[in-house]
Amino acid sequence: MIGFTVLGGYLGVGKTTLLNNILRDNGLRNTLPGEGYGKSRRIALLINDFGDINIDAKLIESQTDNQINLANGCVCCTLTDGFTNAVETLLEASPKPDHIIVEASGVADVNNLSQYGHSEELKLASIIVVADAETVRRKASDKYVAKTIQRQLKAADLILLNKVDLIETSEAADLGAWLNELTAGVPVASCVKCDVPMSLIFDLESHGNNISDEAHAHEQYSSWSFSTTKTGTRAALETFMQGLGSDVLRCKGVIVDDVGNRLTLQVVGSRKEIELQASEATTNSAADKAVDRAIGIELVAIGMSNAFDTAKLDSMVKSLFGDAD
Amino acid sequence: MSIIIYQAKKIITMNPSNPEGTHVAVRDGLILGVGFLAELVGWGEYSLDTSFADHIIVPGFVEAHAHVMAGGMMLLPYMGYFERKLPNGETAPGIKSYDELVKALKSIAADLSDPDEPLVAVGFDPIYFPDQPRLSRHDLDKVSSTRPIYLHHASGHLATVNTAMLETNGVTKDMKVEGLGRQADGELDGELREPAAMACCKTGNRIVQRINQTEQALRDFGALACNAGITTCTDLGGASILAPQLLDMWQEVTAEASFPLRVAQYNVPAMPGAAAAFDEVADQFVALRKQESEKLRFPGIKFILDGSIQGFSALIDEPGYYSGEDHGQLLTVPEQFADWLRPFHRASINVHMHCNGNLTQQLAIDTVEKILREDPWLDHRHTITHAQLTTQAQLRKMATLGLCANFFTNHLWYWGDQHYDITVGPERANSLEPCASALREGVSFSIHSDAGVTPLGSLHTMWCAVNRLTPSGRILGEIEKISPYEALKAVTISGAYQLHLDDEIGSLEAGKKADFAVLQEDPLSIDPMNIRDIEVWGTVLAGTKHPAAGQSSR
Repeated sequence: MIGFTVLGGYLGVGKTTLLNNILRDNGLRNTLPGEGYGKSRRIALLINDFGDINIDAKLIESQTDNQINLANGCVCCTLTDGFTNAVETLLEASPKPDHIIVEASGVADVNNLSQYGHSEELKLASIIVVADAETVRRKASDKYVAKTIQRQLKAADLILLNKVDLIETSEAADLGAWLNELTAGVPVASCVKCDVPMSLIFDLESHGNNISDEAHAHEQYSSWSFSTTKTGTRAALETFMQGLGSDVLRCKGVIVDDVGNRLTLQVVGSRKEIELQASEATTNSAADKAVDRAIGIELVAIGMSNAFDTAKLDSMVKSLFGDAD
Repeated sequence: MSIIIYQAKKIITMNPSNPEGTHVAVRDGLILGVGFLAELVGWGEYSLDTSFADHIIVPGFVEAHAHVMAGGMMLLPYMGYFERKLPNGETAPGIKSYDELVKALKSIAADLSDPDEPLVAVGFDPIYFPDQPRLSRHDLDKVSSTRPIYLHHASGHLATVNTAMLETNGVTKDMKVEGLGRQADGELDGELREPAAMACCKTGNRIVQRINQTEQALRDFGALACNAGITTCTDLGGASILAPQLLDMWQEVTAEASFPLRVAQYNVPAMPGAAAAFDEVADQFVALRKQESEKLRFPGIKFILDGSIQGFSALIDEPGYYSGEDHGQLLTVPEQFADWLRPFHRASINVHMHCNGNLTQQLAIDTVEKILREDPWLDHRHTITHAQLTTQAQLRKMATLGLCANFFTNHLWYWGDQHYDITVGPERANSLEPCASALREGVSFSIHSDAGVTPLGSLHTMWCAVNRLTPSGRILGEIEKISPYEALKAVTISGAYQLHLDDEIGSLEAGKKADFAVLQEDPLSIDPMNIRDIEVWGTVLAGTKHPAAGQSSR
């Protein structure tokens, strides 16, 4: 399945800046155990206009009017011929992308667009909506786009509140409360120049230390993790997932349950999902079993440093899964 | 250089300086003059054609908002509620019950030889079956449990499919696409809402999407127009910029002597809602315009700025929709629309803007004002098309700015009751398509069918503007009725005006194209309630007769 992310937000909020950050990042790797683990990911960006994207000319491998192929495996396509045509072209290409990010127009209904993420071959990963801390409240009452902006924010799994350096701390608190009420608690990640850990958008690095490296590089973010070689249960994982508050911006987990099924937990803001990744019957190779024995339970999460309640996470896992190794 | 003089019972010219005559002289496809015979013989040797001696000749109708889709939809079996006229002059009956629907589909399926070939039909509209349970896959399974069936709805936003169609496309209840309709038990019910869900049943959806690009769609479009007396018809949403590979076919077909229509193609510069490098598109357009031919013209560009009123997706201002959930949404970022429009305006390219909601229309008006301050062009004739909820304040401003309106008067008949009862409520339903107000405020306007959304037929469109009647018998806004003369003007010279073609077509006047609609009766003196029933003999295009289907060429 190809991951599908809708990137929404009004004109000028910083969507293009975020896309440029994604293109610049070289560390996008598949972090799910199993086939393709650790390989770099082919990201396809569907964007409105090439004009604003900064692409290092040295990276360009080939180029047509509607598509640019980069040496790092990324593909950029324009949406001039329409979204469905662009996706169809990507799905017919070889190799196919691992993840598609579509930049929605400033007035798009991101929820409608996200429905394509449930179609064959695709899997909706998240709806990310960027908001401009300075202007979002004004736009949310604008005569033309008020309802559109409100719909976008409510439909988001995760809001990236950009340009927070341009508002006062007291304003920030007001704005946070307003957003929380409007969206009924959609998690908010504050940032400047859309500089956020890529792991907020893509799969977290659950082996190795990539996430804490990233969190260090973004000091306003912190990470939390838990690891044990003991097995768990689906019920316990569900209880853990339900217990996550809006301070948890991103969480991922892999557990092997007591009968040998491998389950994954994916959380992007308010989008929370547990999936059976491999059942006991299919993980019969010696290598897979070795991976599973090594995993047991692994959980990792990211939050804003000033709001991240890691003590709560610690106490949840202790009661559900016991002590860490 | 032979001269033909056509004799008619009456000729209505729509030329205020020479309003009527009994004869029209034609040479080389152009009009020499209209008047009494004695006023025309001085042009030289002529032959007199008396075959229209009992007919009324008016300028060939100009349909300023239609789509080649009107022809494309003819290529698929019709399951609509109202009867439909076919290109061959026959009438497809309206489908009034689910039983009739199943029976009709069964008989079509019986004629297909390949048992796996999908059966795709169009025109169904659940709005006309309010007392029935919603049509579902179970109804269509009665047609066939093995042949995939895709029933495309009239709105274009929905489809109903049978179980075989879902299975062929691997669509299961586990898919989370929101637009997949569900039964109470969570199983799929076979209704597909909006593009993401409709695209799940590719094998049916693709047939509908591609049919409009076929040669036969264009031919049927020409035939339907001729049957309705239309000699110039827009394809308002043309593909020659997005799909330039179609252009050769369009050139060839329209150039055929038997093709009875001038097509005025307004291309969309990008898919609705998508941006493009519009300055480059403007250059492409200027190059495209050099390829104009006698019957294929490229007068301008079309932008689609919002959805529809009955779909609650048109952006309307306070107090909003009367009932139903407001999905009103712009397809452009307001601040960006000037950047979209400017390259075309600067290149003196006429722009038609689809605005169903009055708030969308306000954006269009304000944006035109902004670019006019930057680049004065007094004769732009940019047009708000649909313009259904135009307010009085907007009319005053449009008059000042030189904006034209193209009202969707067919809505008064096809959805008038729904607008009164459900979408916008009594006051706004009564002032829908405010033709009389536009006339009073000095806004030049045309009226349209938006075919294939409603059938091509300028007499019907006139009838709506004159009578403002709904199927339930309501008169929507007596005060906005216009006279038959003003309605005729709207579908002739005023249509031509907003296409910048009024110096060539739209009235019968020395030096203009000899394009006529030949009618059995006089639309200006007949009981206005009968205007839509006037029989159309056919057309004369550039002096050549094109009988409607079922008429002999005489």
